[in-house]
Amino acid sequence: MTQQLDSRGSSDTRDTQGSVVDETRSGPVSFRDLARIDEALTMSSRETGLWFTLYVGDLGADTRSTAEALHARSGEDTANSVLVALSPGQRVLEIVTGSAAARRLPDRACALAVLSMTGRLGSGDLAGAIINGLRQLSDAAGHPSHRRH
Amino acid sequence: MPWIETVLIYGAIPLAVFLLFAVLTLVPGHGKDKTRYRPGQPWDHEPVWYEPHPDTAGVHGGGHADADAGHGRRGVGATAAALAIGERPHEADTEGPRRTAAGGARGTW
Repeated sequence: MTQQLDSRGSSDTRDTQGSVVDETRSGPVSFRDLARIDEALTMSSRETGLWFTLYVGDLGADTRSTAEALHARSGEDTANSVLVALSPGQRVLEIVTGSAAARRLPDRACALAVLSMTGRLGSGDLAGAIINGLRQLSDAAGHPSHRRH
Repeated sequence: MPWIETVLIYGAIPLAVFLLFAVLTLVPGHGKDKTRYRPGQPWDHEPVWYEPHPDTAGVHGGGHADADAGHGRRGVGATAAALAIGERPHEADTEGPRRTAAGGARGTW
């Protein structure tokens, strides 16, 4: 899994491309959960053809605009990228979809995923919420070949 | 049987079993996940941004993903590749970062 450790500062996923995470550092989630989150991210991206990224950290005062600014830098193809941003300190969860992704993931599907995620987050199940949310989002988006006409 | 044998069988053996399970369940630190998140506690970890593995196939529609596999990332067109190097698009975006978000949802817990 690649990840960006810098905060909302410098910005490019290319900087960390192909880099290996130093997993000796104790992070917010256990390594087993990290592996499950990694698999969920990779599999949902592979199945849907969308670019799912996950941000866990503070989202500032205006969480929505921060999440949208993060989405603007979430990759080379932001139209197809979906950002799941959660701020456990603020207890806020934001899902941002790009223009092409929004056609396959309507706001209603995102709201449904948010609803199931917040239920789990409220009980402290961070990794379970992320994994099930990603699963729900990828189920809603479907497979790209089925949508191609 | 002698009374000492009775005490050993009906007293010492159950007590040993009880103590064994007590030690197994009450051993300090066991089952207590330090990284567990609890709602309401402050989040003092640094922000982390996870993304899928770069060799995720088919992000740009499966067909020509193999041709671009050497680049390690999704296939980018000529324009995008040029932009990735650092050139600006010919239409200058003066209003700062453009808005890419088209939808989504938000929730609190």
